[in-house]
Amino acid sequence: MSASPVSQVFSPSNNGVSVFRRKKEKRGITFSMMLVGASGTGKTTFANNLLESTIFPHRYQQDVPASTNNENVKIIQPTKVVTFNSMNGIPSYMSAFDPASPFLEPGITVTSTALEITTKSSEDIDSATPEKINFFLTDTLGLGENLNNGICFDEIASYLEQQFDSVLAEETRIKRNPRFQDTRVHVALYFIEPTGHGLRELDVEIMKRLSRYTNVLPIVARADSFTPDELTRFKKRIMEDIDRFNVPIYKFEVDENEDDLETIEENKALARLQPFAIICADQRDNATGKYYREYPWGKIDIDNENISDLKLLKRVLFGSHLQEFKDTTQNLLYENYRAEKLASVPAWDIENNEVIDTSINDENNEGNSSGLMKGLTRNSTAPSLSNFASLINTGKFKSQQSLAIPPQSETPSTPRLTGVDEGDESRASISASSQKSTPANIQTSPERTKLRNISENIPYMLQHERIVARKQKLEELEAQSAKELQKRIQELERKAIELKMKEKLLRQNSHSQSQESIQTNTTKQNSTSGGAYIKKEETYNDLASIISKKE
Amino acid sequence: MTTEEFVGISNLPNQIYKLVSKQGGVFTLLTCGESGLGKTTFINTLFQATLKPSDSHTGRSMQGPIRKTVEIDILRAELEEKNFTLKVNVIDTPGFGDNINNDKSWQQIIDFIDDQHDSYMRQEQQPYRDVKFDLRVHAVLYFIRPTGHGLKPLDIETMKRISTRANLIPVIAKADTLTSQELQDFKLRIRQVIEAQEIRIFTPPLNETQDDAAAMEHARQLIESMPFAIVGSEEQFDNGSGTKVVARKYPWGLVEVENDQHCDFRKLRSLLLRTNLLDLVLSTQELHYETYRRLRLESHLNGSSNDNELGEKSANNFVAAPARKLSHNPKFKEEENALKKYFTDQVKAEEQRFRQWEQNIVNERIKLNGDLEKIQAEVKKLEDQVATLKLRKR
Ligand SMILES: Nc1nc2c(ncn2[C@@H]2O[C@H](COP(=O)(O)OP(=O)(O)OP(=O)(O)O)[C@@H](O)[C@H]2O)c(=O)[nH]1
Ligand SMILES: Nc1nc2c(ncn2[C@@H]2O[C@H](COP(=O)(O)OP(=O)(O)OP(=O)(O)O)[C@@H](O)[C@H]2O)c(=O)[nH]1
Ligand SMILES: [Mg+2]
Ligand SMILES: [Mg+2]
Repeated sequence: MSASPVSQVFSPSNNGVSVFRRKKEKRGITFSMMLVGASGTGKTTFANNLLESTIFPHRYQQDVPASTNNENVKIIQPTKVVTFNSMNGIPSYMSAFDPASPFLEPGITVTSTALEITTKSSEDIDSATPEKINFFLTDTLGLGENLNNGICFDEIASYLEQQFDSVLAEETRIKRNPRFQDTRVHVALYFIEPTGHGLRELDVEIMKRLSRYTNVLPIVARADSFTPDELTRFKKRIMEDIDRFNVPIYKFEVDENEDDLETIEENKALARLQPFAIICADQRDNATGKYYREYPWGKIDIDNENISDLKLLKRVLFGSHLQEFKDTTQNLLYENYRAEKLASVPAWDIENNEVIDTSINDENNEGNSSGLMKGLTRNSTAPSLSNFASLINTGKFKSQQSLAIPPQSETPSTPRLTGVDEGDESRASISASSQKSTPANIQTSPERTKLRNISENIPYMLQHERIVARKQKLEELEAQSAKELQKRIQELERKAIELKMKEKLLRQNSHSQSQESIQTNTTKQNSTSGGAYIKKEETYNDLASIISKKE
Repeated sequence: MTTEEFVGISNLPNQIYKLVSKQGGVFTLLTCGESGLGKTTFINTLFQATLKPSDSHTGRSMQGPIRKTVEIDILRAELEEKNFTLKVNVIDTPGFGDNINNDKSWQQIIDFIDDQHDSYMRQEQQPYRDVKFDLRVHAVLYFIRPTGHGLKPLDIETMKRISTRANLIPVIAKADTLTSQELQDFKLRIRQVIEAQEIRIFTPPLNETQDDAAAMEHARQLIESMPFAIVGSEEQFDNGSGTKVVARKYPWGLVEVENDQHCDFRKLRSLLLRTNLLDLVLSTQELHYETYRRLRLESHLNGSSNDNELGEKSANNFVAAPARKLSHNPKFKEEENALKKYFTDQVKAEEQRFRQWEQNIVNERIKLNGDLEKIQAEVKKLEDQVATLKLRKR
């Protein structure tokens, strides 16, 4: 439960909105957040509560239209799938509730929504113009729903890494792209299931991976599962586990020398409160606009700070720590990543210098001038329906990009290309692609390096094989899912035809009935002549049987 | 054990009483479901005593790594009411669904149920057929996480397998986190999935010829509220009117476990320990055990070619115990295979590397040999030259 010191720290006069004044920019501030957690922990509900609107549909409710019903929030770009991995090749985001098929594992789907939030700083009279936040919200679906959830964290982590890579690529570019969109995720909320026990294997693994690329805030979801005592115990246990497994979450640390007293107090209070425990709700009071959960035994006001940290979390995210999250992402996480990436270059690079140069040239020739843009947008190429359509028709994708493997060779000028990291398959595929270089190398190098080169290359060759196999499998899956889609389309079409038939039949029936009463003799002729429109044999038979029954 | 309130077993009709006591008065309940859904708490609530400390008291997460396997804990208790004793075995399965990869994690639970049938069957085949040890599972409570979404693939896979072996009763755990509307929608979804996936759950028999209209009505009510929404608690609180009730106390209200307005706990307890105890026991014997037995005998008969008559159970026609060693767990098998594959791959890679290496060495030797020959040839030439020079000098 929220301790009182925090409420004091966040007295109205010190509302975090001041951040926006400090960092005022013409285009507004960009802030990017990711929601990660098992299905049903309330991520969607939280997102809606956070924005005080009904933008995001619950699972299986995709047909409900999104409405912001909050004048301060504008949808810039509706929710779209940015990456996914699933057994049937269809992102689970699109699937409706089908009792016959939930045994299908949903895989993992990552979606992104671009929003614009206008914050009117109430106590700030000077600034007449409202401040804007360009808010990117990334949601993950399907985590914990699979029998084997191993695929989930790789997909999420590689998505985050790709955002880093695209910034790195942009930085190393001679001519900058003025419309470059920085999509790095500044903070990830990890929703912990309210089990009452502690962290599970999955929780630990995911948080560890996330925290390489973003600030991770662990959140106790559905905190109304706990009585006050249980919650205190659970929070303590979570923090113990986080220490025990060395999960590098975002800690509200203070720098005694640099921070002012207020900040120190604030951070200490927040650190004590971690992990924040939140309660979210769908029900909303029309008059006051307040969200609540109503049970037969009582009603929860989710803004009550003694019960839920939701309000506090809102202030931390959009106010007091917004800039801090951005700064750590840039100055700590990204810089580390960059240094690592660049450091991994020379060892491999120096020897193969000329070869790599040529390979870059090759790729530059292949990719035209727009290769630059392509490299940046590659992450957001979601499998579109037109892709499916082309797959159905031709058996191939329009773009040569496959659905699940992010094309690697499209950021040729990135130093990443030359980086060799044994642990990472995707990167290994790049080194594998530069393998054509090795024979040339052997000829020019002295005998000893020759041997070394061979022994060094074989592991990559093997890895390459594995990657090719994986790609093949994925392509198979793609084809399969396309087939399935087509089947569904056919089925729908069939149903549509059937319905049309029925309609016709009914019309005819009523028609013939009315005619029957007037002139019984011509009925047969009429309906048979009507039947000439219907092509399907079955229906024809049906029609005949109905007629014969009647007579 | 002391019970402040009668659980209800003493209210069993007389003939049922006899039957149950003839069966040994044993009732075995297995709880299954993801970790942290309140299985242990529920057991303690049901029997109104702490049969087993729930993990939040023992603090298990402090020792050792995060657990990887499903455990099986057997608890025994005797319920005593008005001189009637019911031996209750409760089987708790902590650790289910805890891992990243939960494929086949149901295997241990399924094996346990099968093993009990098997053990009973072999005891029955003894010349003296007094069964001393009977842990056949009469009812399986499957705990469903209250997401409000639907059933997970793990739930469906596990329930499917259980339902062919024992009386399956799905329950919605921690129902105090779902509002009435959410609960209603959730129940509907679960029922739809259960139907569509052809999972056979236990339903109280609706005997139309039964003259007892009240019993009929009760059974119908039970069926209607399936899957039961349950709340568990080991604590008691004052309910405002001076009586202590088992409940969970939140700042926003008191959830009373035995309040039909709040959850279906009473219905489930009635089904388990009162109205349908006998149905559960009998259907285990007549349906699930017989099915198991038939399948086992059939597979045995099919397995060996020169067989005697079908029904005969002679000593040499003994059904062998299924060897259920670790290696027979498909999960381990899979891991083993993966490891083997990895190993052979590694070996292959190394071998290839070595072959390359060898080839290079051979090449080098050939080249060196060539060099050597060349040098030797040169030496010879020089020697010849020396010889000719010497000759010329002379
Ligand atoms: N008791 C309780 N229920 C909640 C809370 N937050 C959300 N819910 C409910 O939980 C259910 C699932 O919530 P969602 O927001 O759809 O969950 P999600 O995490 O988005 O799930 P996926 O989209 O499948 O990943 C809904 O019925 C919500 O009303 C909470 O704080 N407490
Ligand atoms: N909200 C709510 N919490 C419950 C309920 N029943 C138990 N809990 C709490 O849930 C937590 C876990 O309960 P346990 O009974 O240990 O869960 P379990 O299913 O036995 O867990 P494993 O032994 O790990 O499989 C404890 O903190 C309980 O207090 C319930 O009906 N509602
Ligand atoms: Mg959601
Ligand atoms: Mg337990």
